[in-house]
Order: sequence, then structure tokens, then C-alpha cells
Amino acid sequence: MALTSSQSALALEEQSFIDRTITAYTGKPGALLGILERVQEHHPHKYLAPEVLEYVADQMDLPLAQIFSVATFYALFNLEPQGDHTVCICRGTACHTRGSRNLLQRLRLELGLPEESEDGADKLCITTADGKYSLRTVACFGQCALAPVVEVDHAIFGHMNEQTLHREIEHLDGRKA
Amino acid sequence: MTRILDIGSFSTVRESGMAKLLPARPRVGVGMGTCGTGNGAEGVYHAFAEAIHNEGRDVKLASVGCFGFCAQEPLVNVRLPGRPLVILRRVQTSDVNPILDDIARGTLPEDLALCKIEEWDHLTAHVLYGTGFPKIPNWTEVPFFKPQKKIVLRNCGIISPDDIEEYIAVGGYQSLYKVLIDANPEMVVEQIKAAKLRGRGGAGFLTGLKWEFLRKAVADRKYIICNADEGDPGAYMNRNEIESDPHALLEGMIIGGYVMGATDGIIYVRAEYPLAVHRLTRAIDQARQSGILGENIMGRGFRFDIQLVEGAGAFVCGEETALIASLEGFAGRPRPRPPFPAQKGLYGMPTNINNVETWYNIAPIVAKGPAWFSETGSTKSAGTKVFSLVGKVTKTGLVEMPLGTPLKTFIYDVGEGGADGKPVKSVQTGGPSGGCIPQEMFETPVDYETLAQLGSIMGSGGMVVMDEDNCMVDVARYFIEFTHSESCGKCIPCRVGLDTSLRILNSFTRGKANEEDLERLDEMGRMIRDTSLCGLGQTAPNPLLTTMRHFRHEFEDHIRAKRCRAGVCEELALSPCENSCPLHMNIPRFLQLYKEDRIEEAFEAVVLDNPLPASTGRVCQHPCDNRCRRRSVDSAVNMRDVHRFIADAIYQSERFDALAARIAARKLEATGRKVGIVGAGPTGLAAAFYLALLGHEVTVYDPNPEPGGMLRYAIPDYRLPKDVVRREIELIRRLGVNFLCGVSVGTDLTLNDLDNQYNAVFLAIGTWKEAWVYLPGTELKGVMPALPFLEGVAKEQPAALGRQVVVIGGGNAAIDSARTALRMGSEVTVIYRREKKDMPAIREETDSAAEEGVKFVFLATPHRIVGDEAGNVKAIEVVKTKLGEFDSSGRRRPVPTGEIRRIQCDTVILAVGEAVDQDFVRAAGLRIKENGTLEVDRYTLETTRSKFYAGGDLISGASNVSNAMGYGKKAARTINQRLMGSGRWDRLAVQFAYSQVAPAEPSGSSRHHVEELPAAERAESFAEAVVGLAPEEAWEEAARCLRCDIKDHH
Repeated sequence: MALTSSQSALALEEQSFIDRTITAYTGKPGALLGILERVQEHHPHKYLAPEVLEYVADQMDLPLAQIFSVATFYALFNLEPQGDHTVCICRGTACHTRGSRNLLQRLRLELGLPEESEDGADKLCITTADGKYSLRTVACFGQCALAPVVEVDHAIFGHMNEQTLHREIEHLDGRKA
Repeated sequence: MTRILDIGSFSTVRESGMAKLLPARPRVGVGMGTCGTGNGAEGVYHAFAEAIHNEGRDVKLASVGCFGFCAQEPLVNVRLPGRPLVILRRVQTSDVNPILDDIARGTLPEDLALCKIEEWDHLTAHVLYGTGFPKIPNWTEVPFFKPQKKIVLRNCGIISPDDIEEYIAVGGYQSLYKVLIDANPEMVVEQIKAAKLRGRGGAGFLTGLKWEFLRKAVADRKYIICNADEGDPGAYMNRNEIESDPHALLEGMIIGGYVMGATDGIIYVRAEYPLAVHRLTRAIDQARQSGILGENIMGRGFRFDIQLVEGAGAFVCGEETALIASLEGFAGRPRPRPPFPAQKGLYGMPTNINNVETWYNIAPIVAKGPAWFSETGSTKSAGTKVFSLVGKVTKTGLVEMPLGTPLKTFIYDVGEGGADGKPVKSVQTGGPSGGCIPQEMFETPVDYETLAQLGSIMGSGGMVVMDEDNCMVDVARYFIEFTHSESCGKCIPCRVGLDTSLRILNSFTRGKANEEDLERLDEMGRMIRDTSLCGLGQTAPNPLLTTMRHFRHEFEDHIRAKRCRAGVCEELALSPCENSCPLHMNIPRFLQLYKEDRIEEAFEAVVLDNPLPASTGRVCQHPCDNRCRRRSVDSAVNMRDVHRFIADAIYQSERFDALAARIAARKLEATGRKVGIVGAGPTGLAAAFYLALLGHEVTVYDPNPEPGGMLRYAIPDYRLPKDVVRREIELIRRLGVNFLCGVSVGTDLTLNDLDNQYNAVFLAIGTWKEAWVYLPGTELKGVMPALPFLEGVAKEQPAALGRQVVVIGGGNAAIDSARTALRMGSEVTVIYRREKKDMPAIREETDSAAEEGVKFVFLATPHRIVGDEAGNVKAIEVVKTKLGEFDSSGRRRPVPTGEIRRIQCDTVILAVGEAVDQDFVRAAGLRIKENGTLEVDRYTLETTRSKFYAGGDLISGASNVSNAMGYGKKAARTINQRLMGSGRWDRLAVQFAYSQVAPAEPSGSSRHHVEELPAAERAESFAEAVVGLAPEEAWEEAARCLRCDIKDHH
């Protein structure tokens, strides 16, 4: 039973984008992944709101539980709005060997984020309260010769240390101001 | 784009591609893989484009993939018509115009050239690039490339990945064409089987067999999938393969599709590889347009298409059933097998999944046949594998080696040993499913089975090299944290087991673990391995189990000594400097106290941590320097010279008596226990100091007239004045330590006597036996070992020295002998068998020696000493050496060449090493280890004879003053523990109140260096050569400390 455009909480433009995306991917393997990726990318805050998940479930005639399962299982999908800037620290082995954990700790401190996760795990994606920055980790960028690697807004930086990282953040701050 | 329908159109395209690859004008190919781009290759490309356009240069510009030598990016290959392909390295935008100018002149900048390629076997074709440039080495001569064999990487870095015509020019899609023309799919399967190609994703299943399964399966629709979800951290070869040569993947899959009877191919690639996705999309497009994908491929009536699907950041999707679930629109949770994908795969249909690299091997096998393929590799595993050599190794990059190559070839021949010249401790292979292999096992060949026997796996081919700065407990923790985060959560052993293991490992890194935890980890690891549903869980414990197996002492150190020697687990150390100091001096404390102008308290703090601060302040090899965090700002804090300053300030003032009394007043109440110490060198002195403070009655025996050991009788005056040593020993005397000099234990009294008189005995006799060199001519007059020579000088009974002295060796004893001989008026030459950077002597000493006029001959080893008729030395002959293979110290072993050189001299001082007096040890009934040192318990320093402890060079081999003192301090603690139980040691801890606020900004001043007297002046006298810091300098230096010991952030 498809939601009518009046029943969904989404704007018409968004609904239409989702419809088109679904059509483009229908029948292809990996369709759901592709659809959710495109829809997330389309949103200015790069995330999947609950209404979006509901709409997709409905249009694809799939249980919401399945959509939710996929959205929560894969690290790429954000269920919270992302910050204006995303800083992604690589936690791959080569980067770890060359000190990426310290970079992560340093950034947490600098951005005023909690120092440690409860279970001691480093995999994370958190956004600052003011919505300016999202800090996340990636298992490995595959750039091991440039360790340690940090991605700032889709630009890859190699051989990072605390100073160069600090400079990049200041740069972003400056840009905003 | 020409559609390829027959031989004719094929040739047309090939010619067109050849014209692009080998144009009649110069061609510049900028390496534009993700690595290259990360190193600035994009800027280089644009600079070339602009210059070529603006200046109207007749140069063809292309973007190529990556040649694999990541450490030398950006790489640019240049070909002048008729000349070889030359690869330029580390090209910057500023090099662009000079390069273009050179090209215009018909030449190339040879200083930027890494190597050249005159002809290249693309396996599917042979291309002659050209001859010339005799001075540029061939690519096979570069150590990084020499042992490699490029099968998978046959086109990478040479052709443009964006142009199908270049791929076809080098023989691409010929194999596909052949397969379609032959129309004999069974034969192809037989070929793949005969080639013994095994899956390159990690499991190593025979590819031919897997293909046969799918071929035989009957269904309406069959799928073949390429697993490009390269999730192993540290592995990026698949990324490089796809970015640099996407068509090779497509060709392999199309052949596979035809042979197995599938019409649908899917490439599942990680979202983290945007460039790979982009290049692949483009390649698929071009293939379709050329009629190589889609309907009626190459006019042979075969229909096949490939679709690209991007992953979404789940490592577990690298497991084939999880990947399939992901494609079907579910969370990527593995499913039990059987049924295998070949029976029931995607959408329940028969499916074949192969790793990227497996597909790359298909076209060459078809082109050259299985016999050719199985010539490379080992008996069970044919072919090559691409490995990513990364971490603490000098040369990093992607390396393609025949299977069965030993690990040491990777690390030492290709990688050129540990980064910064440090010895390699271990290598981690196979990503999170693999394990750590210690340096002692580097002879192991790299193959599926051989690594599995060591508890690791070859896996995706990741090789992360580690050195002494990596803590293996932290490594285990890192991997468990990784697999725990990526666990799909479906089965309990993995989900709960890894979580529990992580919590236990966290307690290790915080110093809160105990012996039982080791047992629990072991049990947990095995349970998870044996009962998990899928490969992720089954292999997740490998890093943990291998590190516990091969590096158990590191785990034990974290529990029993609460120490992380690598300095990684921060909670186990006060600060990096304190952790690296053999005496674990609380360095930030004395720096802060001095900064607060409380010099007397600073002195107390220093002496209570280090009873010989003025001596060590002059001769310590300062490991703290290497760990100081201030290095990341400018340079390390000069801590050694600050504690020298503080010590000198008190020792050389009238405050000495008061301060000595203050220290003595800290003695705990008398215990009535007696401890005998054999040897009054730094080890014995340190032990005596602490044992006396703890209230024990201490007697120290030494055969020499005065205490001090090497401080007094080996290290020369200009480095360490006798007065300084005497003063420091005086303070120790004032604690009530009784020195019995001129008494030789073993001769004047026996160990049994000591056993009767004392509650505990500490042996600290050092290594005073000079190792002998077996050379013709050592019996001549004028040949002497270093230590007795230095001892003679110290006792003011110097041996007669000639005018031309040769010293053999590279350690501190050699340099001390050299600089001493120089001051006695001789000309001195030091001969060392390796290079300057390999010398164990303290760098400042070697530099000072050179400034004073000591001559050095490197890469030479003594051959024989020549005498005259009277039996005196008249010359020495040395053999030139060259450096061969790496040994376990992380340095290259010197190998003699045939070349002999004669050096005139009349004295030869041998300083090739010091050893333990084995007679003494044997007579004492104590056990000696294979390397000649005394065996003791690692934690208590107790020997095999009860009541007898040992420390210093006697157990470590010839080392240095601070290490020796570290043992003395430790022995005092364990002996006290044995005699009095625990708790007493902690009562010695000093409590000073000082600022606990870290500086908001690093202080502005740069590092202060101590001043040396001018070389000419100091070379003439034994007066102290190095003037210490002035008070203001010491103060500024203390203020440079960043206070890493303050851990609470407010």
C-alpha cells in the first residue's frame, strides 16, 4: 500500500527524486544500497531521515524493518544530520602503526567531543553540537603508503601529524568565518 | 569508438592504441593513482598540461596508473621517440618546466630518473620501447623491483587506464578473442586447473575447480561476481590494479562468464575507492561501445554484461555469502555453507565469486598457457601475488612476488630494512585475519600453507612492518577492536567473544590485567576461532593468538612489570621520556622544580631517581631524546644536560654536605639484613644506593683501588672527570655503604664466603674481558686491547703508545681509545667494518673525534698485522668490505671483497667488543646463556643459585652506563622485596608539590646545546671537553617541557 504524496512527511521534490532513483535501480543487484546512497547524497545534510526510510520502504514494497536493518548495518549511512564539514581519520593498520589513534584523540579534544567511547572502540561517527563538524573513522582508505591519512571533506591528506591536522581545522574554521 | 567484430577491426584498434602508446613525438605519462594524487600528482599533471598548451610544446600528455613504488610518488614516465620509457621519481610542479626543456633538447633529467624500461613483456604482447640512456639503470636493477615479477601488474603505470585502445595495443582482449574463437570452454577450465591458480582473496581455493563447479551447474541464470571489497586495512593492491588497469579485470570476467555459462557479471567495489569506481565505470562504457560487453561480443554471438555495485562500508561484506546478502538488499550477514554459492548464490542462483587479483591472472594464463604460469611460484601454489609492503619499512609500495619467496626478501631486499635504520621487530601479514610473525622467522617462505603454520595467513597480501616502537599488545588490541567493530553480530562467539576479548585487552593496556587474563584471552581466542559462523570470526583471533605466542614477554611485561617498553600504552608510563629512561627518572618533575627555581629540591628529586646524575649527565646515550614529544614542535628537550647542570650545581658547591645529609636522612629504619655487592661499577653503585636507603647494610667489593668501574677506569677524563665520579660516590658512601676495594671475589674470597656472610648477593662484575680478534700478527709488540689500555691511562700508568695508532672497532670503547691516544700525541685512525651510520658509539663522540683530527676508514676489516724484524707492529692490512644481507640487528652484514689496503702504523688497539668473564661465572656454578651472558629470571634478576642476583653488562652483554644502572635499581627493589616483603620500596617515593598545569603553548626557545671546547684546544688535553649549560640556558630548557605527565584535562 503505497503512501500517497499527502501522507508522506517528505517534500514533493524529495519524493520525486526518490521515485526516480528507485526506478533507475529497480531489478538490479545491490539496488537498495545504491538507492540509499543516492538519496543520502542528495540531502544537504547527508543523512537518511526516518521519513525517508519509511517512504523508501513503502515505494519499494519492502518491510521497514529491512530498510532499517540495512541503514543501520552499513557504516556509510547516517541516520543523523552530518556537520558542515566531515573529518575522517583512517584507522587502518599502517595508519595506526604511524600514530592515527593519537590524531583521533587530538581531534576529539579539539572539537570538544567526548574523549572515549564506552566500550573502548574507536569506530565512530559523531557530530559536534553546533553542527559544524562531523568526526568519523574509516577502517582503511587503501592509501597505506601515505600513512597516517585523514580525509577532510573528500580531500585526502597524507602524512598527517597533529600540527598539520590542526592547521586543516583552522583552515576550515577560517573558511567558515 | 570502433566496434570490434573481427580480426580486421581488432588490428585497427590495436594500431591506433600503439600510436598513442609509442607516438612519434615525446610522451609524458603522469602516474595518477590515488597515491600519486595524494602526493601531488594532480598538480604535476596540470602543470604539464598548462605548460604544453601555453608554450605550444609538441608533447603528448597522458595520465597513467601506478607503477607500485609508492615511496617515490609522484612518478612520471617519459618516452622520447625511439628511446626507452624512463620513470622519473618524486616529480614536483617545479620540475615540470625543466623536464619539458630537457625533452625539447632530446634528453631527460638524469638526476630525477629512477629507472628505464627498454622493452616490456606485457605477457599478452611484447613491446619494444627503445634503447639508450646508458647511465640510467634498468628497472630490474633497482632493488625495489629486482625480485619482482609483474604478471598481475603487467600494465600498471605504463598504459593509460582511461583508454581501451592502449589496453588493446598491449595485447588486451586478445585472450578473450582466442577463447571465443576456440569456442572450447572446457579446455579453458582445464587450462586454469592445470595452471594451479588459487584464489587470491585469501582462502586459496583452486580457481579452476571453482569454475568447473559453476560451469556444471544447471540454471536459467548464472552470476559471476568480482569481490573488490578490499577491506583489509593495510591492503590496497586491488585498488591499484583497478585504477591502473581496469580492462584486465573486465577481460578476466568476460572470459569467465563465457566459460562458466553466465551472462551477468557484477563487480562489488568498496565505496571508499571513488577513483576505482570512476575508472571502472568508464572502462565498462568503453568496452560496451567497442562491442566487448553486451550483445554479440566481438561478433561471436556471446552475450555478457557487467554491472558495478558500490559497497557501503562494511568489512564483513568481503565474505562471499555476506556480499551476496548485501547485493540482495539485506544487511551483510554471512550465511552457513553448504550450500555454496556455486549451488545457491545470488537470488538462489549458481554464482561464482573471485577476488580481483584472481581475475587478473586469467588473460595471461590463456595467452601463455598453464605450463608457463606454473613455472613461477611454489609447488603447491603457482604464480605471483601482489603484496602491500607498508609500515616501518624504508621503501613502501606494492610488490608483486612469486609465491614462496621468503619474508626476508620482502623486508630487506625490496623494502631495504627498517625505517630510520631501526631493526625490524615483526611483520603483520594478512590483515585482521592474519598474524604477527617475529623477526626470527623471516626465513619463512610466503605462501598459503607456510604462513598458516605460523598461525597467520597470507590473506589479501597486506604486510605491515613493525619495529621496537610498536607494542604488540597494542597491535593485538587494535585488531580485536577492528574485527569487533565490523562483526555482523549474528553469532555469539564473534559478537560477544570479541567484545569480551577487547575489554580484557584494554585492561592490559591500562596495566590492570593479571595472569588469569592471559589464560582467559587464550581460551577465548580458541573458542572464537573454532565456533564462529564465518571467516571473520574464525580468523579474528589470529592476531591475538600469534602475538601471545611469539611475543608473550610483552604481555607479561604489561602484567608483571606494568611496563610498555615500546612506549605506546600511555597509561603505563608517566611520560614517554620517563618510559624510555632505563632508570625511569621522573623527568618532568625535576624540570618543573628547576623551572620553579627550587634547585635543591630538583637535586633531591634527581638523585633519588638517578644516583649518578653528573656522570650520566655526561655519558648517557639519552634514549629520552628520541621519545620527547617536543620533537613534533621543534626538537627534543635536552633533559640529560639539565640534570647534569643540577647535579654539578650542587656537587660543586658548599651545599653538597647539607644535601648529602638530607638524602641520607631519608634512609628507612635499619633492617638488620646484609647485602653483598660484587663490583663497584654503575650497576653495583646504583644497587648499593637504593639498598642503603632501604635500610640494609651494604658492602661493595671491587678489585680496583677505587670504586667506579668503567666510570673510573675506562671512560676517559675529557668525557668524565675523575672528580665528578668521586663526588658522586662520596654521596653514596654517606649513606653508610661500605666499600672494600682491592678485593677480588673469586680469588680473595669465594662466592661461598659471600653466601655465608650475606642475606643476598648481587653480582655486577660487568664485561671487562676484551673480545679477542683472531688475526695473524696480534702477538706483535704494539697490539693491545682497548679496555686495559684505557684502564692503564686511568691508573696513570699508560702503556707505551707509538706515533701512529690504529683503532679497530666502532663502539664507545673504540672512540674513547682513539680520542685518548690523540691526546697522548699520536696520529689516530679508526677502522670500522660497516658505515658511519651503523656505529654503535654515541654520535656526538664520533663527531667530536672527527673534529679533533681522528681519521676514519669505513667498510674495512682487519686482515693481518704486519711486523718488522724486531717483532714490532709496522703496518696493518685491511680488507675492504661491502654490505651484504641484513642481520638481526637490522644492519647489513659486512662481507669482505678481495681488495686489500695497507695502513702504516706502530700501534693497534683492538676495541671489537667486551665479554663476560666466563671462568668466574662457571666457577660460581651459575648458568651461562648461549650468547655468553649470565642467566637470570627476567623479572627478579635472580640467578640459578638461590640468594644470588645479577645485573648490568653481566646479564645484558656490553651495554652502557644507564642501562647498567637500571639493572642495579631493579635488583635493589627485587632483593628488598625478597628480604622484607612488598610495600617498603614505595616508602622511598618522594613527594614534592609542584605545578600540575601544563603550559598552554610550547615555549618559544629552541633547544640549547652544550658547548664543546674548540677542537684544536681540546685535542691537546684531558681537561673536560664539554662545558655544561649555563643556569639561564638550563632554565629555558626546563621550560621547553610540554609536561606530558599531566594527564587530566580540565
